[in-house]
Amino acid sequence: MPSPTAWERIGRFFRERFPVEKLSYDELVRKKTVPIHRRSWGYYTGGLVLLFLLIQVVTGIFLLFYYEPTATDASSSIEYLTHYVPNGEFLRNIHAWSASFMIGFLLLHFLTTLAMKSFERPRELTWLAGVLLLFLTFTFGFTGYLLPWNQIAVNATKVVLQSLVQASTFLPGGLARLPLDVRLALQGGESVGQPTLSRFFAIHVVLLPVLLAIILGFHLLSVQLLGMSQGVDTPAKRYERFFPSYILKDLSVWTVAFFVLFFLALSIPFASFLPYPLTEPFYALGPTPAGIKPEWYFYFVYYPLELLPFPVILAGMTVIMIGLFLIPWMFRKSSRRALTALAVAGALYLLIITIFGHDIYQLVRGGS
Amino acid sequence: MRFIRLPAICILCLWAMTRAGAFPEFQRYSQRHSGVPTDCAMCRINPGGPVGSEFGQIGSLNAQDQARLNQARAALNPGQVVDNPILNAFGDRIVQTLGMLNVLQLRSDPAGLAPALGTTSDLDKDGIPDSTEYLDGTNPLDPESGKPGLLLGTRLARHWISLVFAILALGLLLYGLLKLRQGVVRGDE
Repeated sequence: MPSPTAWERIGRFFRERFPVEKLSYDELVRKKTVPIHRRSWGYYTGGLVLLFLLIQVVTGIFLLFYYEPTATDASSSIEYLTHYVPNGEFLRNIHAWSASFMIGFLLLHFLTTLAMKSFERPRELTWLAGVLLLFLTFTFGFTGYLLPWNQIAVNATKVVLQSLVQASTFLPGGLARLPLDVRLALQGGESVGQPTLSRFFAIHVVLLPVLLAIILGFHLLSVQLLGMSQGVDTPAKRYERFFPSYILKDLSVWTVAFFVLFFLALSIPFASFLPYPLTEPFYALGPTPAGIKPEWYFYFVYYPLELLPFPVILAGMTVIMIGLFLIPWMFRKSSRRALTALAVAGALYLLIITIFGHDIYQLVRGGS
Repeated sequence: MRFIRLPAICILCLWAMTRAGAFPEFQRYSQRHSGVPTDCAMCRINPGGPVGSEFGQIGSLNAQDQARLNQARAALNPGQVVDNPILNAFGDRIVQTLGMLNVLQLRSDPAGLAPALGTTSDLDKDGIPDSTEYLDGTNPLDPESGKPGLLLGTRLARHWISLVFAILALGLLLYGLLKLRQGVVRGDE
């Protein structure tokens, strides 16, 4: 029997990982089941990310009705929305809180799928799409942060873009140009200004949503075609039907999550966590106010950057980012116990650096 | 003696108000007490302070504004209506409540500003008195600025009916979904 050609092997690889023959009502709705075991709660984390994404889309569209993407009017348009549009403040708070929830649950989803070894064959492509979605979501956060055009938004963006210049000094040869070109492409000029805002706005409301829709569509469809991963070492003894039993449970979780979001958006303005000088309109001629920081979901890289030499972080982040894509092959033979330990260690690091990052920084540097 | 004292105080006021970073004692105290960064926007129109030629700074004032400024500076005693072109509503409220003479005296004891203002004034209507916002280093003119815990309390008190209805809706929805799922499971069996 002749050995398969490279094209046949590629075709087989994709057919196994994206079985389009299962694209039927019977397979996707009637026959699909979900295992019930002690880690079943992990299946709901992905659904919650989807819920908060949908809320982001809906509230984002409403915000677009009022937002002016110009350096002169961005801040005042948000002030108008917040203080003069009926329920404008509530809408803005829902958008801000759900962005944080979305990223929080995305990180939880990432860690639970890692611990459950959900990337196992034939789910490697689902994992790769998930990692891309993780990066896209962080890019959403980064680009959205600039849009209010206030002191913290502009100054924090300047710091991040400046770090690209710093990165270029540690890269060899022609690679050194890459961060500078990326910076220029994002910034649109010599410094952060109107071209930067226009580009970030276009990326945030057009480019990223289109990319997200394509990759998320692939991710969700592959989850549907391949079914839920086993999640535990011993195959589950009980299963429930995906439709309607699991969907109804998922809806219950969504209901509770939406209520928590509603409660927070109504009760605590997201901006109240920032010192008020940071939420004032950006003033180019004034001094940089104290306390410029990125959003909390970037603390895991921000505080190490403040404490450790830049090349160490640059090398570490590059290795981790490439490593995330290679996880299905790197940990193919790892046990779920080992992966769970890795996920717990990751979760602890994220929690500690996010909650105590500032205190650790003060402890090490001995200042504020 | 009275004829000498009044012009002397006025000159003192003029000198104090036109200095760069005028009245920084209050801002410094607020920052030290709260532990969070603050700026001149707490009391002034321009966050950069009174000196300069930007909007809300002395250099940008026309003759009419200058007259308003002089009139505001002459509000030595409490109770006088103040409309200072370089102060915001909170700055005006401080002068109106205490009078310039007391404000000048409090420069050496900025901790005394909060008790002197009392707890009745709440310019942004966020439920937190202006004097508390001064101590907390938050903006007394921005209803979104305040200690999150305090805002939670005041907003819960304001929106409790909405929350009761939301909890009711949540409970009913969860009950409905539970019953629906039980029915489906029973049907499957």
